[in-house]
Amino acid sequence: MSAPARTVPGMLRELETKALFAGAALVLFSMAWGLLFRGATFFRGYLVSYFFWLAPTLGAMGWLMIHHLSGGGWGYVIRRPLEAAAKTVPLMAVLFLPILFGMHHIYEWATPEAAHDPVLQSKAAYLNPLGFAVRAVVYFIIWGVLAWRLIEASRAQDEEPGPAASARLRRLSGPGIVIYVLSFTFAAVDWGMSLEPHWFSSIYGAIFAVGQGLSTMALAIVATAWLAGRRPLDQELTVRRLHDLGKLLFAFTVLWAYLNVSQLIIIWSANLPEEITWYLRRSQGGWKQFAFLVVALQFVIPFFVLLSRHTKRNVRLLVPMCAVILVARYFDLYLWLAPPFSAVPAFRPHLVDLTAFAGIGGLWLAWFCRMLRGLPLIALGDASFSPAAQVKEAPAHG
Amino acid sequence: MSDDVRTAAPPPSESETGWVEAALADFAPMIEDGHDFESVTGKIADIVLVEPKKTPRGWILGFAIAFLILQVFFLSAGYLLVKGTGIWGLNIPVAWGFAIINFVWWIGIGHAGTLISAILFLFNQDWRMSISRFAEAMTLFAVACAGMFPLLHLGRPWLFYWLFPYPASMGTWPQFRSPLVWDVFAVSTYATVSLVFWYTGLIPDVASLRDRAKHRAAKVFYGMLALGWRGSATHWHRYQLAYMLLAGLSTPLVLSVHSIVSLDFAVSVVPGWHTTIFPPYFVAGAIYAGFAMVLTIMIPVRKFYKLKDFLTERHLDNMAKVMLVSGLIVAYGYAMELFFGWYSGDTYERAMLLNRLGGPYGWSYWLLILCNVAVPQLLWFKKYRTRTLPLWIICQFISVGMWLERFVIVVVSLHRSFEPGAWGFYHGTKWDWGLYIGTMGLFLTLLFVFMRLLPMIAMFEMRELVHKKKHPGGHG
Repeated sequence: MSAPARTVPGMLRELETKALFAGAALVLFSMAWGLLFRGATFFRGYLVSYFFWLAPTLGAMGWLMIHHLSGGGWGYVIRRPLEAAAKTVPLMAVLFLPILFGMHHIYEWATPEAAHDPVLQSKAAYLNPLGFAVRAVVYFIIWGVLAWRLIEASRAQDEEPGPAASARLRRLSGPGIVIYVLSFTFAAVDWGMSLEPHWFSSIYGAIFAVGQGLSTMALAIVATAWLAGRRPLDQELTVRRLHDLGKLLFAFTVLWAYLNVSQLIIIWSANLPEEITWYLRRSQGGWKQFAFLVVALQFVIPFFVLLSRHTKRNVRLLVPMCAVILVARYFDLYLWLAPPFSAVPAFRPHLVDLTAFAGIGGLWLAWFCRMLRGLPLIALGDASFSPAAQVKEAPAHG
Repeated sequence: MSDDVRTAAPPPSESETGWVEAALADFAPMIEDGHDFESVTGKIADIVLVEPKKTPRGWILGFAIAFLILQVFFLSAGYLLVKGTGIWGLNIPVAWGFAIINFVWWIGIGHAGTLISAILFLFNQDWRMSISRFAEAMTLFAVACAGMFPLLHLGRPWLFYWLFPYPASMGTWPQFRSPLVWDVFAVSTYATVSLVFWYTGLIPDVASLRDRAKHRAAKVFYGMLALGWRGSATHWHRYQLAYMLLAGLSTPLVLSVHSIVSLDFAVSVVPGWHTTIFPPYFVAGAIYAGFAMVLTIMIPVRKFYKLKDFLTERHLDNMAKVMLVSGLIVAYGYAMELFFGWYSGDTYERAMLLNRLGGPYGWSYWLLILCNVAVPQLLWFKKYRTRTLPLWIICQFISVGMWLERFVIVVVSLHRSFEPGAWGFYHGTKWDWGLYIGTMGLFLTLLFVFMRLLPMIAMFEMRELVHKKKHPGGHG
């Protein structure tokens, strides 16, 4: 926030250009490295990063629909960044292609050896290359249509605000949430759980959904705080709205811990060979220490920091907390998805993990900025927009 | 910058919802027009302060019926203590039958009260104000009913204190790795915190009753309950702080109690019990059943005591929406059980699924789907959410459905476990049913006493609503 004279569209354009070139270069570098040296390392970095950046794309739709159904000033200030994030579905569909075409290198059930495994044979009706591809196409169609319709209804509300436009958004969001949760659950099984095809856990979809909500909320707070450094959002991000966003961030932090502990207690207590291996793999060769780091960054620190009312109401404290949570989100996904890629149970991060993360992230950010530029930053048709709010409440940026 | 923010921030009691509500004109109000402080307090307090001779006949009749059913409880429990748990239908392989089904059913019902008074309070949902008192009372009574089952199942309930880790001379010590022991702590904490929370919320109102009571005995009774409340600014300040802290304390209890109940099943290796979705899905089911029970009781009470001004269509609508959401989460749980039962690739998991869907108890699963998944989809439509009779009927489906859910989990999973040689059947005996129906008598009796002796809607919170309605944007 060094040059106050610059406008938001100018800032976005500048970020878009930089992110686009950096992202494209890094993705290409990661792919080239994978082709030349070791494919598994590339796919590990790529899949984990893909999951990380898919989270705000899908999570944005989830939060938007919750906002349309429940109302409230918190959703209104992050609404445009969320809509821009939801519009990255086509980009994520394109970025899925390496996973689709590389599935034989990623998933054990897609290799010829799977034919000799009786358990995998009994699951083959679901875990097979054709089914995987067809389902992926279906997921992206569902998400694309949902995002497109949500944004279209939102534009209609901008043009003609009123109860009818709000009702249209509500009617779309109710069934939309059901479809979103179901489609995402099965996508998480396909792309994540099936990395260890003998293992299963029925809470998996819920844990990924909550992680998504958390990533999206943290990213939305960071983006909104950045945009609110200038007009017009500076008057809209009030202390109370920031407080509400902080409360939701806190609630999802606790929810994340709750769901993870539930899974751990149940699997640890029963100690069944087909389930406990998942935790055993993640408790040796350095993974255990890494897992403790995830718990500290994803739960212990955010829990105590966000418990304070002061943190939730202060942009300068809340934004760094969001950054910590986002780092923790990546580490958490790494803990869940990376271990099956190596035969040796050892925690060995690689440069390609980082380049894939920054590469996909750069492309995602560039697309996000481009979409955000095309949207008016304030949703004038939102029921929470009211000039009264500006008189009454203090802006969070002082 | 942070200093500016702090000084310019609005006072914490002021809610943002005020003008949002005003903008959403298509919603029904939370309190009907034409009420002032006096009419609100008078209307609610008069139900309690009516002279004993003028007690409404309907109340007397209802209480009599409830009290009669309570006798079934005493009979069933008394005979049980004489003969032992052999009079129940429990045996191997189904060693957990009605006792645990009914325990889980009742404890789940209690959760609505805690959700309404704690979580909705923290999220500034003003519509909870007129239903919180009633729902909290229901929580307490439901927990009391729930507690009867494990207590009586002990066989020698007078030795219940063995469950606590005290320095016993016999060298007994609870197995701390068992969720059944966690249950003891979770449920007793839950009961205690709920009671304190409920009582704290009652203090300003019993003080009003003390001041309005005419009869000496009533003055003394409410006077003692009011703990010397005078309504000074200091009192209110401390009250609000205490109430917020208690709400914060109660919030984790909404999740923890039913999560631990679910772990009673899930930490085992029994197919149908051991699945990781259980904790969140049990919590959602508890909220689902709890709201169904709140509405089941509240719809007739609202009509009988003519409380439609305070319990408006808005309340029915919102509660029905909470039921729809929690019901969909429950349905998601069923879907995950089905999918992962198959996806596990495990012989026993798949056999359990087939038995659940098409075995001798298959009817109970399909009835459960009808009650908990199919019928409640009507709640997508506003006319079913706001019209009392259809809503009440849907609630009955949900109450039955949630009982069936526990039946399916407990009985159907146990009756055909790993070895076909150990398969068997289970049905509740008349004493099982007697005790279950008897606890309904206990629940209703306590509710009727509560409605007669204490204000069932928080009067001071309704006065706050009247005030907010007059000043929709706060005091600028």
